[in-house]
Amino acid sequence: MRSDTPELFKKIFALSAVAILIVGFFLAFIEMPKGWSVNVNGRVSRLYILKNVRTATKLLDSGSFFAKGMKPLRTDVAYTPIEFKKTANLEDGAANVVTSIVVDYRGFDTLGEVTVLFLAVSGVMMLLFGKPRKEKKKKTEPSLIMYVGTRIAFSIIFLFGIYIFVHGHLTPGGGFPGGTVIASGILGLFLGKRGYNPNHAGLKSFEALSGIAFVIIGLIGLFSVNSFLANFLPTGIVGNLYSAGFVALIYIAIGMKVGAELAAMVDTMITDTEEEWS
Amino acid sequence: MIIYVATIVVIAVIITSLIAVFSKKLLSSIIAMGLVSLGVSGLFFFLQAPDVAITEAAIGAGLSTAIFVIALKRVKKGETKDEE
Repeated sequence: MRSDTPELFKKIFALSAVAILIVGFFLAFIEMPKGWSVNVNGRVSRLYILKNVRTATKLLDSGSFFAKGMKPLRTDVAYTPIEFKKTANLEDGAANVVTSIVVDYRGFDTLGEVTVLFLAVSGVMMLLFGKPRKEKKKKTEPSLIMYVGTRIAFSIIFLFGIYIFVHGHLTPGGGFPGGTVIASGILGLFLGKRGYNPNHAGLKSFEALSGIAFVIIGLIGLFSVNSFLANFLPTGIVGNLYSAGFVALIYIAIGMKVGAELAAMVDTMITDTEEEWS
Repeated sequence: MIIYVATIVVIAVIITSLIAVFSKKLLSSIIAMGLVSLGVSGLFFFLQAPDVAITEAAIGAGLSTAIFVIALKRVKKGETKDEE
């Protein structure tokens, strides 16, 4: 759109785009099958399991499970229903099937994502790197309530972030959201005290070590199961904490790496530095 | 029942995104963007994608809003220094 277009036309264009979006949204809701809010997610993952691991002869005969044209791959194995704390070795033992896809089947992809995040953060650090500027005029400190409140909230937020990435294979969540939650807790510490200075060498070595741990876990898979990032641990029983093999290990590594990385980025951005070209 | 809640959230998301586009002040645009992320994470939750909802709430509504505000602060500081 050209810059000399009248303002009215721009607004009409924006409003009509919004109207088309609204209509599309409601059409999508109309097209949804009845009972969509009950358990669509569970049905998808169960369908995936049944197609690959077990057969669905029982439900297939009654015709209540599959959509039209869908058939399981194997019909020779007898159907046994999946039970939460009893069934073993389903989809590598992860109760949250998304995790076993993200970390196990597409683990190499996740390694690429971590690398992209690392490159972005190192770009920010390269742009804003410099000595901290000495403050000339005295600025106001945050209040005592802010100081104490952020410290108390930090412990709770830190614990919640660790919970998110340790339980990534059981409940929704995983390494990336957990690390971000931890980084936002550290952002609270920065807001609570002026001139807060974390241990930079600790953050950097922590991040590097967890990044190396990811690759080392992948290499162990390469040498023991003949495939990079292969699941080399026993997968256990669906729903237990010690299940899903190496998914929890890799998510712990990713969570620590993302948390340290984003905390270092917040530190670089919030500290007032003297850039060389300014 | 849930479709009414989703409708309200969608309308709120549209209004806040229009505020983010047409607002004159950059700070209110940033805050409106954070609200858009919050509403969109709620919609992801309604659409049975809790993983994406958690990620959107942590990254979009939490950290990126703070980072935008910090960047805006730095940019304004540079402007005043040039004028002096």
